[in-house]
Amino acid sequence: NPIVLDLAYNFIDFPSLENRM
Amino acid sequence: PIEDLFASLNKHIQRSEFQQAVKVADQVLSIAPGDEDAIRCKVVALIKDDNMNEALSTINQKPSVDFSFFKAYCLYRQNKLDEALDSLKNLERNSTTMLLESQILYRCGKMDACMDIYQKLQKSKIDSLEINYVAGLVAAGRGSE
Ligand SMILES: [K+]
Repeated sequence: NPIVLDLAYNFIDFPSLENRM
Repeated sequence: PIEDLFASLNKHIQRSEFQQAVKVADQVLSIAPGDEDAIRCKVVALIKDDNMNEALSTINQKPSVDFSFFKAYCLYRQNKLDEALDSLKNLERNSTTMLLESQILYRCGKMDACMDIYQKLQKSKIDSLEINYVAGLVAAGRGSE
């Protein structure tokens, strides 16, 4: 079968640390 | 102070220095064991560092935080596909969870279920989704569509 792109990886995000610094 | 640690953590994240980010997240957690931002940063940094085992053990140490999506993703990367689907069942269905579900179903060879999800995702404007859609059509023997 053809290879599928791992698009879910792009939704693994760091939280915003804006108001923690 | 913890603000300095978060500034350092943020710097490592911006530079994609994921192992360093894990170290600093651990420093935060040694001061503030339940800090959800630090735990999330640690789990994401481990995933971005391709360390699914450590990411999963970190997730399993923190049952108070809902890491079902990250857990499902790690299990998918480890090819533990049934467990990955189980973890997704804890979550509300949205375009992100459906996207991961479609990738898992594809690997399981469940092409009809996979293509059903792609149909539903058409309107969600996910970049490059059409590449996976075409792969699914070909795998399902519907390449002429
Ligand atoms: K895949």
